[in-house]
Amino acid sequence: MEAAEQQTERCRWKAGAPYLVGALILIIPPFFLSSYGQGIMTRFLILALFAMSYNIVFGYAGLLSLGHAAFFGAGGYMVAILKLHYGVNLFWIAAPLGILVATLTAALFGLVALRAVGIYFLLVTFALGQMMYALAWNVKWLSSAGMNGITGINLPDLAIPGFMLNTTSLYYMVFIFFAISFLLLYRLVYSPYGLAVQGIREDETRMQAVGYNTWLYKYITFVITGAFAGMAGVLFSYYNFFVSPKHLGVVTSFLPMVMCIMGGLGTFVGPIIGAAVFIFVEHFSSVYFPERWPLVLGGVFVLTIIFAREGIGVYLWRLWRKLNYQYGSVKG
Amino acid sequence: MDWFVINMLNGISYGMVLFLIASGMSIILGAMGVANMAHGVIYMFGAYVGWTVAVKWNASFLLAFLAGGFSAGLVGLVIERGLLRHLYKQLNEQVLLTFGFVYIFGNLCLWIWGGLPKMPFTAKFLAGSFEIMGRVYPKARVSVILISLILAIVLWWLQDRTRMGAIVRAGMDDKETAMGLGINLQRAFAIIFFIGSFIAGAAGVIGAQLLGVHTELGLDVLLLALIVVIVGGVGSVQGALLGGVLIGVIDAFGRAVVPQLAMFTMYFAMIVVLIIRPQGLLGRKI
Amino acid sequence: MEALKVEGLCKNFGGVSAVSNVSLSITVGERLAIIGPNGAGKTTLFNLVNGQLSATAGRIYFFGEDVTDLPTYRRAHLGQARAFQIISLLQRMTVLNNALVTLHGTRPSRFEMFRHVREFRNVFDLAAETLKALDLWERRDEPVEHLGYGEQRRLEIGLGLAMKPKLLLLDEPSAGLTKEEGADIINIIKKLGQEITVLVVDHDMGMVFELAERIIVLHYGQIIADGTPEEIQADQRVREIYMGIEE
Repeated sequence: MEAAEQQTERCRWKAGAPYLVGALILIIPPFFLSSYGQGIMTRFLILALFAMSYNIVFGYAGLLSLGHAAFFGAGGYMVAILKLHYGVNLFWIAAPLGILVATLTAALFGLVALRAVGIYFLLVTFALGQMMYALAWNVKWLSSAGMNGITGINLPDLAIPGFMLNTTSLYYMVFIFFAISFLLLYRLVYSPYGLAVQGIREDETRMQAVGYNTWLYKYITFVITGAFAGMAGVLFSYYNFFVSPKHLGVVTSFLPMVMCIMGGLGTFVGPIIGAAVFIFVEHFSSVYFPERWPLVLGGVFVLTIIFAREGIGVYLWRLWRKLNYQYGSVKG
Repeated sequence: MDWFVINMLNGISYGMVLFLIASGMSIILGAMGVANMAHGVIYMFGAYVGWTVAVKWNASFLLAFLAGGFSAGLVGLVIERGLLRHLYKQLNEQVLLTFGFVYIFGNLCLWIWGGLPKMPFTAKFLAGSFEIMGRVYPKARVSVILISLILAIVLWWLQDRTRMGAIVRAGMDDKETAMGLGINLQRAFAIIFFIGSFIAGAAGVIGAQLLGVHTELGLDVLLLALIVVIVGGVGSVQGALLGGVLIGVIDAFGRAVVPQLAMFTMYFAMIVVLIIRPQGLLGRKI
Repeated sequence: MEALKVEGLCKNFGGVSAVSNVSLSITVGERLAIIGPNGAGKTTLFNLVNGQLSATAGRIYFFGEDVTDLPTYRRAHLGQARAFQIISLLQRMTVLNNALVTLHGTRPSRFEMFRHVREFRNVFDLAAETLKALDLWERRDEPVEHLGYGEQRRLEIGLGLAMKPKLLLLDEPSAGLTKEEGADIINIIKKLGQEITVLVVDHDMGMVFELAERIIVLHYGQIIADGTPEEIQADQRVREIYMGIEE
């Protein structure tokens, strides 16, 4: 009994090791980076969060949505509007409201979009996202004077006496929210609900025959992922100091999809790896060929789909498993 | 009365452009199950090529029309033969792949033709206007309606001959059986994709008379095509025609009556159709 | 009260009448088999009873309750369990996860979003017990698609039984199985005795005659015979239809 329990303990430590290492990489080095480097890391975490939320609806639930940026942008715009028209800079008011608006948008859109089945769902979410884009573009109240989009967003006020956010502390604040979301989504995926969602993706008819109200599961998942996308959008607003209609449209909706696919769809850390790859390529091409960035992105994306369909993340995971076996047999 | 007629004509001519845009996508979607997200950029590419021929080289409009169509068809063929067929039967991956091309081609067009929008252009004999009910009406718009009607009839006729399309769809589920029936599936897919893309490119040239050519067209046109397909229903020429004309007319009267909401009339139509009849007005019940 | 009562059930597809004015009832604990040539409407009838299809006309009563308009998942909660003609396990999921997902389907814990699925000991233990009885516990972490066809069929039916249903619907359980595997299934079902009502559709006449207490014959969507296995075997019309088909 003793040996077996020790064995399980060791297994759990081994399984947890990559997560621990990942967390350490995200906590320690950024402290020593320049402002610019920290900015990139912040952007990385925000996009990773956005991609994680999308991974749930696309990778786990199997719903190919092309309008996810609507919720991301809704969160960001809410923060911006509160600042622009009401002078609200308090994080503890703006952020929850931002997430709330994103969630409500997802709740509404979900009702319409889930009327469509199969490939229609894709088309409808696309259209709904573009509708948000059109709204932000045309309604004057949703823009700062004389432009499209809202500027003038500041680092938020956390209502902590004597404490002002700067680039470094913003990064760690974003990290905290990222980590919390990571944990919550992790629990979701391995819960009975999460398992059911994956089952629905695989065979909806069977899941119904076994007792699941599949529409409800899809809808709730859609709304939950909208909420997390909204959180990413809120954080993005504070990082970027500027929101524009394009943050609501398909161009932005495309990003988490690219990241999930490049990193490994339906795996839990895939989107994070995908976000890392994305940030790397984005940075690289902004230095060497800024005008051809969409071309590069499109090219990498197409190549990934054809050659590495399971994503770079899965490739790394398999590598880890192989190393594990080798070390395991040596110790064993 | 003439206010009504003019707006009606505007709506129908714009609706016909929408029909042209959507028909190519609807054909591919209906016959192959692939939502070709690159449809918009193929349209845009055809329009740019047509502009080069008609405006830059000052050649005949008919030549521009054909050049736009063929170059677009070729692009579609390359996408299908070179890439899509490796993802046979994986619909999600196919759609995603086509999305990659939105970026690739969008940026390519920007690279080649630059960022300045091109003004609407038309054939020399179509410049100028008719007099209708005491008002002037551009000849170009009338020609759009006529050409689209001809195309609709041609496609309708082809559609009946394209029991092939139905057979192709069956073939998608069971390649061996379809091939056993003597059907060359690979060739059928390639042909369908070529035709759909040709129509998109040709539509780009025709539509350029009304819309001009610019780099945002890729996504704008894609969105329009999707809404028409959602409203009208997939896979049939009638669906694309009904959806296109309906949206065009709603849009025209929307602009005339409630200009502030002009942008959103088509979204309203889409949402209403989705709530009442999710498969589209003329779509088959799923 | 009857386990299942169907009155005047009709299902039309366009101009084709797949099920035509079918009325039947099954008593609690009975084992009823439905046979008939291909296209007779057997699977359509199943789909109507289980809810995958909606009836054009007629009503369906399950343990006294009118379920005609209820969605499939509600019928599962009321006590229906079904094995499909084409095995419908979640292929890419592990055997254990398939079991867990199936067993949570009718429990309130299926909406739990925070705790790990294995923390639900009662469900986990039931899954373990079921898998061990099916001799599949050793393979619990393998994806279902690695199992042989017979093993998958055994798993599907076994999980259906683990749901503790009131009515078990088996759609061609013997399809693709060897003689031994088929006999295996028959034993499992016979052992159920009076606890569960069983409705079977199959083409394997050997299995049908061994298993069924009562047989209904369907032809072009209509019932043409209803009786004990001996009565059916002797029935003239049935023999005509099956002339040429081996028993």
